[in-house]
Amino acid sequence: MRRSRAAQAALLTFLLAGGSAAAPLVAQAAKAANPLQASARALEPHRVALAKDHAMVLRSQFGLGEPDAFVTRLSFTNTQGQAIVRLDQTHQGFRVFGGQALIHVLPDGTLRTLTQGVQPGVKVEGEPRLSKQGAVAIALRHLAPQGPMTDAPKVERVVFPAKFAGGLAFTQDPVTGKQVLDRKRLVHIQPEQPFVWAYEVRTRVHNRVDAPSELTYLIDGRSGEILRVDNALHTARASAPAQAKAPFAAPATGNGLGFYRGAVTLATTEMNDGTFSLWDNTRGTVGNPQLSGFGDDGSGWAPTGLQVWYASHDASGQMDWNMWLFQGNAANSWGDGQVWNRVPGTENSANGQTAAVDALAAMTTTWDFYANVFGRNGMDGNDTAVFAQVHMNGGYMEWYTDNASWSSWAQGMSLGQGSYPGNPKGLLELTDLDIIAHEMAHGVTDATARFVNAAGLEEAGMAEGTSDILAQGVRAYATRGAGDPGNAIPATGADWKIGENAGHGTPIRWMDKPSRDGRSADAWYDGLRYLDGHFSCGPLNRMFYLLSEGASATQGATNHSPYYPAGFTGIGLDAASRIWFKAVTENIVSDGTGSLTFETAREAALLAATDLYGAGHANVLAVEKAFSAINVGLANGQAPRAQVAFKDWREGDYVEISHFSGWSNKEFFPQGETVRPRVKVENTANTQVAWTIGGPSMYNGAESMVGKGGRINADGSWTTPMEKGWWAITATSQADATQFAEGRAFTINLDADQDLEQDAVDMGTLAFSWYLSNGLSLAHSVFNAPWVDDGDVGAFVDAVKNSWLPK
Amino acid sequence: MMNRTPTLALAGLLLSFGLACGGGSSAPAPQAAAPAASLSYTDPAGSSWRLLKDASSTPTRLVLNLVGPAGTLTRGVGFNLKAPEGLKFDAFPGGMLIQDAGVYQLLSNALDPNEPVALVGGVKTGNLLSAGIYQKGRDQGAKDSGAALCRIALALDSAHRPLAGTTFTLSVIKARIIPEDIGSPTDEPFTLDRKLRMTDISVAVGTVTAR
Ligand SMILES: [Zn+2]
Repeated sequence: MRRSRAAQAALLTFLLAGGSAAAPLVAQAAKAANPLQASARALEPHRVALAKDHAMVLRSQFGLGEPDAFVTRLSFTNTQGQAIVRLDQTHQGFRVFGGQALIHVLPDGTLRTLTQGVQPGVKVEGEPRLSKQGAVAIALRHLAPQGPMTDAPKVERVVFPAKFAGGLAFTQDPVTGKQVLDRKRLVHIQPEQPFVWAYEVRTRVHNRVDAPSELTYLIDGRSGEILRVDNALHTARASAPAQAKAPFAAPATGNGLGFYRGAVTLATTEMNDGTFSLWDNTRGTVGNPQLSGFGDDGSGWAPTGLQVWYASHDASGQMDWNMWLFQGNAANSWGDGQVWNRVPGTENSANGQTAAVDALAAMTTTWDFYANVFGRNGMDGNDTAVFAQVHMNGGYMEWYTDNASWSSWAQGMSLGQGSYPGNPKGLLELTDLDIIAHEMAHGVTDATARFVNAAGLEEAGMAEGTSDILAQGVRAYATRGAGDPGNAIPATGADWKIGENAGHGTPIRWMDKPSRDGRSADAWYDGLRYLDGHFSCGPLNRMFYLLSEGASATQGATNHSPYYPAGFTGIGLDAASRIWFKAVTENIVSDGTGSLTFETAREAALLAATDLYGAGHANVLAVEKAFSAINVGLANGQAPRAQVAFKDWREGDYVEISHFSGWSNKEFFPQGETVRPRVKVENTANTQVAWTIGGPSMYNGAESMVGKGGRINADGSWTTPMEKGWWAITATSQADATQFAEGRAFTINLDADQDLEQDAVDMGTLAFSWYLSNGLSLAHSVFNAPWVDDGDVGAFVDAVKNSWLPK
Repeated sequence: MMNRTPTLALAGLLLSFGLACGGGSSAPAPQAAAPAASLSYTDPAGSSWRLLKDASSTPTRLVLNLVGPAGTLTRGVGFNLKAPEGLKFDAFPGGMLIQDAGVYQLLSNALDPNEPVALVGGVKTGNLLSAGIYQKGRDQGAKDSGAALCRIALALDSAHRPLAGTTFTLSVIKARIIPEDIGSPTDEPFTLDRKLRMTDISVAVGTVTAR
């Protein structure tokens, strides 16, 4: 029998979801990568208890006391037999936002503690005035979705450290492709106390009219002010799971013909009616959080395992926002190996099934890669079921068509149907192995490092790079021969490209030399963070490529780095993957605010390599060299390099200091004025720089912006463009042409009184319109917004400070 | 959007053009004079808006108070002050070119401990100090302007080797206040719009002499 329209069931769930208690997670007997891991697993509960006791003992060091505690968020046993325990910090029983401790319990009982995430001196008074429902209402009012909210927001009372208030951000204007200030995520309120009660409200927008998002709001429990907003949706290009239901249906083996994978054997399920579905119920025993919202239709279906669903389409070919399981197949034979003809109604025909064959084969391979190589139990480490939905298109600005995304909310993937060849620049169906492995890796990092994946943060590049890195491991793993060990990654099989097949020959990203795409960076520089994560991942991808394959001493070779010109020998894909997987899952502590840098990535990788191979081992030295080759840190004995940085843009800066570190070396300037940008050059006697208009970030989605942004004058001053918006200028060291920094500037219109002159007198106009909601001219806001708040005042002060310096 | 009359903006422009060539050294330096080592200042006459010497001035650093007419209620003031070559504007502790004298209420008493205050100053090309101090919002009452409202500071600019005996003419090119009446949010938008304007003032400046 056919499943009923499940999306409508999901809508029903929204109405009923309030107040349901989270079911306890049940640890499943998992596959181990080796006997050491298997035997150590039995000791894991004991070691988690040890780690917790240890964290409690550490409390006094951090000015914490009786109301403070640590609860396990996640634990796993690695292939070395170490228990890795991530603990959430609590106060009076409520989670402290960003507060965590990471403890490694070694086989001999030694404890190693990473405490940089512990929030010291937590103290919060009184009780919140706001209710959970009130907090949700505030978040939804701000979110203001145009379409239906198909998922009920999730809300949790937390203790919020005031230092994390902020969330100034910019976003890409969908029409012009330019980066604009994101007023929706512009947060200026600072709490009165160092710690306040707050509600964390997680929302998910997934409908045909809004841009897809998974915004998390932090709402002050007293004032109702929004303290912070983050986006958690991961894309390919730019929860408490429900308890498993016992399935009635039986495991089966089917045959598939994929477009990318060719002929494959598939783990499928025989349903109660004797037909088969694309449902591998031998992996992932804990119910999927999204699928668990769908009712039991008596077919034998359960929300477990790996499942492939499809979007159905209306007569015009537009996705109709219903999702269906691939099912009703009597022969258990799937796909015709051909690109789907995209005819509405044929989604589950042999032709329509081809994409699903590729997807299920890729999901199975990816799942086994983690289980067999790293002994990891599913993406979240808890054996939670994962689903993919294929044939997606449409949505806001055709968002779904040529993209793939991982939702940590849903523990599932949205995979676009692609627009090629109708759109020559479009993609084929986004179901190839590297894309799916990339998306599923987001599930791993979401549960472990928990990178904040937002433009403006170096962490975004780490999130995307890690997904690309692990995808190469999966690719190589899929090529292993009959004689290869199942628990190692073959040395060959990585192609160092992402999305080449979906891109009909043109990769979405190159990892060996990421700059081949004309947008990605090959090495770190001050300002890398302004790139979207899918471009700022370049240096990390290249580091990993060089670490695996080695670097050449020959100038001009793809694998030659001017930052480490001597070259070095690679350590192979297996060792490199183990080091980075360990760094990400065991050594990186993200506080949830995006403060990690590539320097912290280097430290985490060195710690992992040292742990795996011992101090001074060639593999550890190779990690140093590989990071040096992307301009991060120095290899042993290397002389310091010249460094160019926009440090002055941060010092004494209102927006930077009081709001968000993501605004480091982003600055406000008045439009159409001649200013003298300042930059710091270190480690060289020659501190001269050459200025140029533009910078790598100006490529983001808008080629037309390259080289625009006013002009550099003969005396080195900069005449800013007579236009509001984001611009970039780049300073390149005259001592070392490989060293440069990009500064981003947002030009604003200070002429609030409209006398054709930008000066301090204009601020009076801002002052008396401050928070005035009617009778206001757009000119009164430096952003030409219909209101004036402290964003305007702070931006005005910073712009004057940057532009008109005393002698 | 409501209509706007362009009168005020034009008036400001004309004023700027009329006075833009002001400034510069008004007296020729005496021959073979010694390099200047200190500054003196003679306060201007009158009781309207004026720059008066502050007691914290030193021989090498002249601190001037902006003082308004007693009894006039205002919510803030901004001005552009041009200094000739040989003088430079000097910063106060913290790097600001303008200092609050404590009359205006600069914080809104909102929750934000890092609330930015509307106190701003910079030196534009042509040695033009542009400075302003304002109360944000409308909750704080207007203040009597007959007191020191803010301070600015001047020093000799040794890069231009000023000589003893040089007289410097400072000129205020533009100055505006936020008046007491800024309307009410309940006013008709048109009425409110007309009240959301700053008012031009002229500021009397004394004479600076290098010694
Ligand atoms: Zn991604």
